[in-house]
Amino acid sequence: MNIVLRLAWRNIWRQPRRTCLTTGAMVFSNVLLIFMISLQFAMYRLMIDNSLQAFTGHMQIQAPGYIEDKKMRQTVPDIVPLASALREQLETDTIAARATAFVLASSEDRSYGIALFGVEPQFEAQVSSIPGLIGQGRFLHSGDAPEVVIGSVLARNLRVGLGDELTLLGSGKDGSFAAAVVEIVGIFESGIVDIDRNVAELPLRLFQDIFYMDGSGHEVVVNAPELGEAHELQRRVESLLGTDQDLVVHDWDALQPGLKQAIQADMSSAFFMYAILVILVAFSVLNTQLMSVLERTREFGIVMALGLTPGRMGRLVILETAIMGVMGIVFGALAGGILTSWFSVHGFSIPGMAEMAANFNLPARMHPRVTGVTLFLGPIVVFLFTLLAALYPALRLHWLRPVEAMRAV
Amino acid sequence: MTAVRCVDLCKTYRQGDQDVKALDHVSIDIAEGGFVCLSAPSGGGKTTLLNAIGGLDKPDRGEVYIAGQRIDNLGKGELAELRLSRIGFVFQAFNLIPVLSARENVEFVMQVQGVAATERRIRSTEILEEVGLAGLEDRRPAQMSGGQQQRVAVARAIVSRPALVLADEPTANLDSKTSDGLMGLFAELNRHHKTTFIIATHDQRVMGYAKRLIRMLDGRIVDDIEQHAS
Amino acid sequence: MRTLAVLALLARRNLWRNHRRTIIMLGAISVGVWAMIFMTALTRGMVNEMIKDGISALPGHVQVHHPAYRDDPNINNLLPASDSDITQTFEGAGFKAWASRIKVPAVIMSERESRGVTLLGIDPARERELSFVSYDDVEGRFLKDAEDSGVVIGKKLADTLDTGVGKRIVLMSQDPDNDIADRGFRVVGVFHANMESFEETYVFAGKATLQKMLRVGDRVTEIVVLGDDYRDVEPVYKKVRDRVNDDVEVSRWFELNTYLGAMLKVMDGFVLIWVIVIFLALSFGLVNTLVMAVFERVREIGLMLALGMKPVNILGQIIIESMLLLIIGLAIGDLLAWATIVPLQSGIDISAVAKGMEMMGVSSILYPQLRLEDVVLANVIVLVLGFLASLSPAWRASRYAPIEAITKVY
Repeated sequence: MNIVLRLAWRNIWRQPRRTCLTTGAMVFSNVLLIFMISLQFAMYRLMIDNSLQAFTGHMQIQAPGYIEDKKMRQTVPDIVPLASALREQLETDTIAARATAFVLASSEDRSYGIALFGVEPQFEAQVSSIPGLIGQGRFLHSGDAPEVVIGSVLARNLRVGLGDELTLLGSGKDGSFAAAVVEIVGIFESGIVDIDRNVAELPLRLFQDIFYMDGSGHEVVVNAPELGEAHELQRRVESLLGTDQDLVVHDWDALQPGLKQAIQADMSSAFFMYAILVILVAFSVLNTQLMSVLERTREFGIVMALGLTPGRMGRLVILETAIMGVMGIVFGALAGGILTSWFSVHGFSIPGMAEMAANFNLPARMHPRVTGVTLFLGPIVVFLFTLLAALYPALRLHWLRPVEAMRAV
Repeated sequence: MTAVRCVDLCKTYRQGDQDVKALDHVSIDIAEGGFVCLSAPSGGGKTTLLNAIGGLDKPDRGEVYIAGQRIDNLGKGELAELRLSRIGFVFQAFNLIPVLSARENVEFVMQVQGVAATERRIRSTEILEEVGLAGLEDRRPAQMSGGQQQRVAVARAIVSRPALVLADEPTANLDSKTSDGLMGLFAELNRHHKTTFIIATHDQRVMGYAKRLIRMLDGRIVDDIEQHAS
Repeated sequence: MRTLAVLALLARRNLWRNHRRTIIMLGAISVGVWAMIFMTALTRGMVNEMIKDGISALPGHVQVHHPAYRDDPNINNLLPASDSDITQTFEGAGFKAWASRIKVPAVIMSERESRGVTLLGIDPARERELSFVSYDDVEGRFLKDAEDSGVVIGKKLADTLDTGVGKRIVLMSQDPDNDIADRGFRVVGVFHANMESFEETYVFAGKATLQKMLRVGDRVTEIVVLGDDYRDVEPVYKKVRDRVNDDVEVSRWFELNTYLGAMLKVMDGFVLIWVIVIFLALSFGLVNTLVMAVFERVREIGLMLALGMKPVNILGQIIIESMLLLIIGLAIGDLLAWATIVPLQSGIDISAVAKGMEMMGVSSILYPQLRLEDVVLANVIVLVLGFLASLSPAWRASRYAPIEAITKVY
């Protein structure tokens, strides 16, 4: 070990209890930060995945303005050929066309207003989780058979089951009256009440017939293999569409603005809490290092008289702090990593959280996820602030006068 | 009547890897109103003896009596009570509580004893005047000279009129003139109030003031002579 | 008592002896306490707004329904009593506000668009205090009375439907025999709400008009009752329960909207955890400071013991010193919190994340809420835990043997 390092190491152990307490403060906040950040990131990821997988997908091709108004006539023309052309050009199956209408759905003795989706039965499963969530019956067959799948709550409210008929009433693309009778072939249960209560799906071609769509639809959903690759894919889709067609591509962030903002809002309040924690640790370090410098005034005076510069002594103080900081990172990451990993396997739950989590499409049990980033982000910030806090005690050495310092007790 | 009686005191310290006999079968009687100097080279056992008499330290064996009461087997609380009411201490240095003024240092013991504020005030003023510090009552220790600080310590030691004052090298940090002043003060208090003084020292000049001089060496009493104060 | 006076004096003087350390520690405590109270006030404000908004949409603190209605909000699940009987029972019973209404799902259609909505048949005179719509802040006008033949819809819905004041729309729902009940209405007013989802979801029509359209005679689907304070819902609940038969369901707001109910509970827990976490972060510094203070004063402590001070008094002195430090820090932190929260009480604009906040059920203006209970909670926790944290260094100080302490060389 280098002599300066050895000196710094011995110095911090002159007051073992103080060093332990200061390092303890760092470890405490590091463990907390690791746990919280791991939990946060896992939650955000899940929130995004769960919210996007039902309908939104990673991006959608729509007519301009549809995202705002969702008007029936804001359509993508020849939507089925467009979707199949894209599938071919991008060599992927995770692309599907849709159309949407709000209709009154009536059974024998009940009527409810619902959102009705026309979907491509053979491709919908590639972009949506709904086809995989059929609890009773089956998903739609391809083609234009008069059949429909509905949510479980809707089925209960309409008092219908498989094989029952449903009358749909609404208005077509041109504003004219539209009506159809379809048979229920499947009932899905997503666990998201709003979807289970309000949604029905039928084949896109049937939808186009009922609502006089003339081959058009409202959105082409495109999924990337990974959320992280969505931006790249979006650029390719945009270049394929070219500029001649009057269409726009929206990413998930634009399609679900609430999602990112909810995450941002949560992040900023979390950021505030983390900042306070880090500041308190910095105070603790400032206090310790200032004390340590003050009680060594005499000693510093002597080495100064021997010809050491205040700058070098200041670096020693910073080095001492850095050693404590590194111990804070190591023990913090170790304890935080173990604790968080345990919870990431076993999960945890707080009373009352289930209801809140459901509001954000999250499960009732939380599983934090440890990654390199979540493990070291917090501790490194703590480390930097710790060094910052040691700056004042280190700089104080500059106005130390050797003779006076040596006389100090 | 005897103020202090020690019977067969032994005390061994470990220093490094050696056992040091600080007290080796020491027995003494000190009469009330005595003015005794304990003299020994450093490490001779005088501080240990003083601490054993003051109940600050427990001997390994032997018995200590203060005014006829055995004290070496008392608990911490009882010893604290004893020191508070019957024994005054003057140490070599760091005698005073730095955050308290001269007057507050003197009043400290009385306040813990529960003496009323007005009486404390009167007595502290009186005693500070007696030790020659009138006018310096509100100074903090850091603002006083070594001699002045020792005088405050003396004032504090005698303010509650203890029967016994133990002083450990009280003049070690003082120049000869200040030492003479302090010893003169001790002698006067001894005459005036019949307070028993036991002073540990290796200063020849201090020994000159003593009515009885006890010399120690390696934990044993080697010489015990009555002398007339000069 | 006297001893206590000496101890307090010593503690006070000692605290200022190493003023740098004390100031740094005071800084840390103040920032910590400020953060405790500030964050709590923001959270409380957020939850309060959330619950107020949520309750204004329900509306009311207590509602009465047919037992099957909440699961199946259908026109068939009407309250058994007639509206005139209900009025007789509830009018003059001393509720802050109450209303009987019709609430059914419906489809609204303009010339070009259709949407699923919640159709409300109300008596506007009764709902003024209950509604999230401010009657005077409506484009066009609000409903005149229960017989009004117009509808009032939200701004967002008006935009999507391409409609507006003076234009006609069609509302479709079902009657008790499941025959389609539809009727053309003129839009007489467009309302603004602080949440976009309210503007999209709710359509107001006259109660009598809807009763006619839905062919339900003198019947309603729900009674809503407002109490004085949402936190104290039990008296209102009991009073309502006493006025209705057993064949209906009476629900409190947190049963109607379990998300809000859970929110309130989770937030209480959050406040406690937050305060404790901050304290723990502080406690390291606090204990450190005390350990240092004791360490520097070993000799003095020995001296005091030699002079006859009892060990318990030494313990007391260190604890008083610690308490003094905490009390001053608390006072500064409390003051700081007060000084930062009061100017913000007129509302913090967080519209940058409005959509996200709406997802949580909060409108885009946040009103921090400084509650005495929270301030007291934070202060008491800091003092109690601070006391416990100081015990160890204080106890250690009181255990010094006087002789060793005096002769201790640094």
